[in-house]
Amino acid sequence: MEVFINLLVNGVSTGLLIFLLAAGLTLIFGLMSVLNFAHGGLFVWGAFSGAWIFKETNSFLLAVVGAIVIGMALGWVLERFLIRPVYGNHVRQLLITLGGMLVLSESIKIFWGPNPIRVNLPGWLEGSYQFDGIIIIKYRVFVIVVGLLLYLALWLLLSRTQIGLMIRAGVMDKEMVQALGINVKGLFTFVFLLGAALAALGGALLAPYSGVVFAEMGMQYAILAFIVVIIGGMGSLQGSALASLIVGVAGAFMAYYIPDLSLALNMLLLAMVLLVKPTGLMGEKGSAV
Amino acid sequence: MSLLKLDNLETYLGQYHILQGVSMSVEEGSITVLFGRNGAGKTTTLRSIMGFNPSTTGSVHYHNQRISGISTHLISRKGIGYVPENQGIFSALTVEETLNLAKAKSTGESEEKMEWMLELFPDLKKFWRKKSGLLSGGQKQMLAIARAYINGDGLLLIDEPSKGLSPIMVEKLMESILKMKEKTTILLVEQNFLMASEIGDYFYIMDDGKIVHEGLMQVLKEDKETCQKYLGIA
Amino acid sequence: MRGLFHKVPLYWGLAILLFMLLFPLVNDSRSMLILLTQIFIFAIFAMSFDILLGYTGIVSFGHCMFFGIGAYSTAIIFNHLEATLLHFMIGLAIGIILSALVSYIIGLLSLRLKSHFYAMLTLAVSQLFLVLAEKWRGLTHGGDGFTFSVPDVFKDRTSFYYITLISVAVVFILLKLFTESSTGKVLKAISQNEYRAEALGYKSLHYKLIASVTAGVAASFSGALYAVSLRFINTNVFSIEVTLDALLMTMIGGLGTLAGAIAGAGIIEFLRHYLSELAMTYPIFERWTIILGFLYIVVLLGFPSGLAGFIKQLTLRSGRKEKQEKKLENVA
Repeated sequence: MEVFINLLVNGVSTGLLIFLLAAGLTLIFGLMSVLNFAHGGLFVWGAFSGAWIFKETNSFLLAVVGAIVIGMALGWVLERFLIRPVYGNHVRQLLITLGGMLVLSESIKIFWGPNPIRVNLPGWLEGSYQFDGIIIIKYRVFVIVVGLLLYLALWLLLSRTQIGLMIRAGVMDKEMVQALGINVKGLFTFVFLLGAALAALGGALLAPYSGVVFAEMGMQYAILAFIVVIIGGMGSLQGSALASLIVGVAGAFMAYYIPDLSLALNMLLLAMVLLVKPTGLMGEKGSAV
Repeated sequence: MSLLKLDNLETYLGQYHILQGVSMSVEEGSITVLFGRNGAGKTTTLRSIMGFNPSTTGSVHYHNQRISGISTHLISRKGIGYVPENQGIFSALTVEETLNLAKAKSTGESEEKMEWMLELFPDLKKFWRKKSGLLSGGQKQMLAIARAYINGDGLLLIDEPSKGLSPIMVEKLMESILKMKEKTTILLVEQNFLMASEIGDYFYIMDDGKIVHEGLMQVLKEDKETCQKYLGIA
Repeated sequence: MRGLFHKVPLYWGLAILLFMLLFPLVNDSRSMLILLTQIFIFAIFAMSFDILLGYTGIVSFGHCMFFGIGAYSTAIIFNHLEATLLHFMIGLAIGIILSALVSYIIGLLSLRLKSHFYAMLTLAVSQLFLVLAEKWRGLTHGGDGFTFSVPDVFKDRTSFYYITLISVAVVFILLKLFTESSTGKVLKAISQNEYRAEALGYKSLHYKLIASVTAGVAASFSGALYAVSLRFINTNVFSIEVTLDALLMTMIGGLGTLAGAIAGAGIIEFLRHYLSELAMTYPIFERWTIILGFLYIVVLLGFPSGLAGFIKQLTLRSGRKEKQEKKLENVA
């Protein structure tokens, strides 16, 4: 029982971290059909800058805020100088965001060296809770709470605000939204920055969680996020949330019982979705083809 | 002075030369109908006005202001409403959300316009909280027209509203469009000659990317030869 | 006019081939021969990628996996069996069959969907191969890799130089014939307008699968040659940088030309060679991957048609050039 609960907590917290990455990806894709391969680069920048600020200032809050600011700044540069010049050309968009990913993760090595960096937990999040002999690590609970709050905030933003209404409409019919006098490019910049902030936040939260950060981590988590976005259905926030939890929990259990097969499991899930329902669990009908 | 003036528009789609010098004008307070067979360039003409497919040469003037070459959302904010051929319904949004979205960047008294539209199309009021994707074809068309009008009531561009609707529905819709003429100006693309000729004041006929005929609708109705040649009506 | 354009590159190609054939006679610098051999191997790899991206418009971010499959197949055979030409052939055949199979399955899963799916799936599967190579230590020795011996004819730098040179020429001719065959023409049509090709009755999935398998097989061949040239292998052959090499080489050389891919391979390998030499004096160049990354972005933004497009534009008269640009813009 203890193992089961612990694995569940691990899985849900990892899943929610992946969700932070996937949420931006899926919204950006939904609105502009841009699949941002550089998204993992923002994530790893969030992880390193968060870890670095935390080490320098010893303030976790400052570290998280700093990581978000840096992530958004990099996201702005990406959107403005890489993605905007190739609007509407899917092939070049794909190609250029991969270049962005490479530059982002390589530049990590210039700033912080090629070796992994150790990251400590903030003092107030160290330790664990005990319930009837079951030990649950505090930081994981913290990640789960933050993740759920962010999901709620995103849901409120999309369903209750005017800009959320514009985004949802834009996902369905971009041209028609423009015809209603709404500047879709501005909307896209907003969504892109939001996605960048979430990705950087995800990275900053992950750093103390895994205890060590390294440059290749961006690509690793980006691939998980891609898998999640496909499984959940491209453009669907709920789908991504559900798929993140599935991938996170399944991964946690596999990593415990059959560690060598955990990546293969994701690929299997992915292959199944592609075969049976390429639009994903909650994707809009026909958006995949 | 005409409200909308197209001067020698030429538009390419990919390598295809779709509009080959289209000139026309729409008078304020009128219903102008653009006829022509499939592929003549009617939809592209509307899309060029809206800036979706910008023309390479020529110009579009609205209220004597040049609007060709600027972005679609800025064209819309001048007060031009657009109803696309496929209706462009946001299927997952409710009627309420759709019309609120139309108010977001609306020109003029949006509350008043909203009220009038709900009066004109009471069905929208009835299905206020229903997802637009679940409406009937006719209701979707009403929603698309109401959305366009609430967004911009200076000029409405309506692309084939009768497409796929039952004859009764078409008649109802045409009546409503005729009523809307009291408060706005309409450029209508239609294949349904009988309906459109009832409500239109002025007409243009397109063929192969060019305007081949224009005049008063009254005159066209008498002109059997032109009707037969371009519109396939005996 | 068109006939002339067709003949000029042919003469150029023959002249370059002749020059390369004579090169070892005039210059026997060992490091130069090794560098050129590397260029030839990567030229094959880049050409295989060009079949996908340039001719069919398919974006693959996992092309390294076919390179790696070819490399590991050969290396593992040589690690377990004697270093004979026959065993090379067996290793090569295994690599080719595996690559064909993998590319076919990935293609079947994702090529009927939007281009993003193929890009993502190839990236994910290539990472799966990387993990597999790291975990299956009994076969691959993980990240440390292993050395192995190769047949004598491959050991000799000059004879291996000729083998790779002839390989490039043969692969170039085969792929050129492929692209100019009726299948190749359909591929070109698909890359320009998939819907129209479908409307004309061509099943685009079928043709895209052919392109995908062809590219996988050719990449596997280059991987096998690569392993032989190093006589060593580790998991680096599955790294994303290998895929990026292919992207960079085809983009710089010019998409959809094959010859451009060869030129791109030459440019990138020379650049890498000099950058790593520079790194000895200026440590900043140790991170030359980032320099290549920037170069890649600059090429994508500034010269989307690459070196080949640039040369083509120079040779066209200005009037035609404008028309050409307009056309490109419209297609884009």
